[in-house]
Order: sequence, then structure tokens, then C-alpha cells
Amino acid sequence: MLIPRKVKHRKQHHPKRAGMSKGGTVVSFGDFGIQALEPAYVTNRQIEAARIAMTRHIKRGGKVWINIYPDRPLTKKPAETRMGSGKGSPEWWIANVKPGRVMFEISGVAEDIATEAMTRAMHKLPMKCRVVKREEF
Amino acid sequence: MAEISINGSKRTNFGKGASRRDRVAGLVPAVIYGHNAEPQHVSLPARELGVALKTSNVLLNVSFDGKSELVLPKSVSKNPLSGIFEHVDLLVVRKGEKVTVEVPVHTEGAYDKDGILEHVNNTIEIEAEATSIPAFLVLDLEGMIAGTSKVAGDVVLPAGTTLVSDPAMVVVHLSERSSAAEPVAEAAPAAATDAAAEAPKAE
Repeated sequence: MLIPRKVKHRKQHHPKRAGMSKGGTVVSFGDFGIQALEPAYVTNRQIEAARIAMTRHIKRGGKVWINIYPDRPLTKKPAETRMGSGKGSPEWWIANVKPGRVMFEISGVAEDIATEAMTRAMHKLPMKCRVVKREEF
Repeated sequence: MAEISINGSKRTNFGKGASRRDRVAGLVPAVIYGHNAEPQHVSLPARELGVALKTSNVLLNVSFDGKSELVLPKSVSKNPLSGIFEHVDLLVVRKGEKVTVEVPVHTEGAYDKDGILEHVNNTIEIEAEATSIPAFLVLDLEGMIAGTSKVAGDVVLPAGTTLVSDPAMVVVHLSERSSAAEPVAEAAPAAATDAAAEAPKAE
């Protein structure tokens, strides 16, 4: 799973979820991509599950790119704990994804296989998504 | 490439409120600048502009306020979800003037099907006359074998154009298909060495 090698601060505030993605909104490397339609925190487990779903469907062949990275820690207080006593311990690593962001890309497979692989991956993700193609002029 | 004529109107109200009202009315806010002249703010019809911008580096003849300007799209802002044009920057050009533009590269020809074609760079920079910019360039992949690349220098340029990009810049790479059943995806380097101590516990 994707985890930062080292971080400057172990505990951070929750990242802002408002607004649209400022970049990374087009398919840049592969032929097809998964684009987020809603804001969401995507955990490293979800990224890994989506990657596995895609690579298992395309079997041998094709190449997958992951364009997001879970670099933000989220904390959680243990269950049945009284308030206070400081911030909870880090529990998840998340990528703050905003609408429009192309999160995964794929190439080297036919369109129908790529679409099916991406549909399977989208079921592992916490937001509404769609499959987008590389823009050709 | 033939020029496309678009009738616009001079924009007098500025700011996000006025721009939003323009977009609702089916217009796209745009700015025309270049040749050391004062920038001119115009509104262009969204539908006609959308059709014109389907061709990259299209030459537009924008008429507004009793005059017309020959322009090239310099920067196009689109809403990533709806695809609505939010703003367009248009650069003034003159007939016969040489301009540096990014032109998309299309591929053709049969290549080794054991390889995976990766588009490392979708466009290359060329210098061409403003009135004869090619819509796209063709890169021949005939006989390309897995593990090799084609560079910008391999792209055949039409007469009157010169390559500005580095000739050694990789345009497409035909990578070898991994024999493993489950290839590892490319991502930013991530290892759990120091992070093991920092990493949150698994559920």
C-alpha cells in the first residue's frame, strides 16, 4: 500500500474538500482514465483495491498509472473515550480528491476491457466517477 | 489551415458576476492580446467557438466593435466536469508571421503488438507560419519493436515548419509487456521504512 516515507507532522488538520480540482483533469499518460465527479478522501486501501481490481481484470497486458497519492494522515480517537486528552492517533492515509481529478489511467488494452476494468475499480472508490478517454485533436 | 470567422462583441462588464451572466447567455469571455497592443476584452458565442476549437491551433478571425483580428487560441479554460468553456486567451497574429505552437502528434502504422504504446508527449513544439499551422503531425510506428522509443526528430514535418522541441525528446515509447500476471502500477516512490513508525495501524 502507498504510505509516505516520512512526514513533517504526524497529525494534520482535515484537508479542505471544497472546490474543483485545479490540475490533473485530463488523461495524460494512458488511453483511458477514471475521473472523480465528487469530492472525497480516498484511502490507501481503496487505491490499492482499485489497482488490484484493474490489474486482475486486464490480466497480462496493459499498464496502469495511479495519479493520486495518499499523503494526508487522518486521526481517530479510540471508542468509548472521553473527550479531551489531545488529538487521536493517526488511523488512515488519504488522498484529498476533488471533482474533475483523473485518478487512474490505463493503456495497452482494448476499450471494452479497459472500461470493464475501470468499472470494477470504481466500485472500490468512495465517490461517483466516470471513465474518460484521452483527448485527441 | 483555413481561418474561421466568429462574430463577437466588446465586453464592458468585468468580474465573475458579469462573466457568469455571459456564460449563462451562451457566451464565452475572452481576451485578445499581442503585438504590444492594449488587451481587448470580448465575448464570443460558445457554440461556434466550441466547434472551432475542436481543431487545435485553429486560426480565428474575430470580428467585434467594427473591426476584426486574426488570432490563435493561446489558453483555453474549461470546466473539467461539464466541459463548458470558461475563458479563452487569444493571441493576435499577422499573416506571414512565424509563431511557435504545440501541435498534437498522431500515430499510424503497425507496431509490435507485444508492446504497450505509451504516449510520453502528446504534442511537440514547432515553428510555423500562422496561416499554415498543421492540425496534427503524423508519427509512423511501422515495424517498431517493444522496448524502443520514437523521438521528436522522427516526426515528419511539413514544408515551411521547423522543430522547436528537443529532437531527442521521446514522443512515444513501446514498453515491453510484463510476463507477471499482476504488474505493479507506477506510482510515486513509497516505501514503509521510516513511515512504519509513523504509519497508522491497519484496521
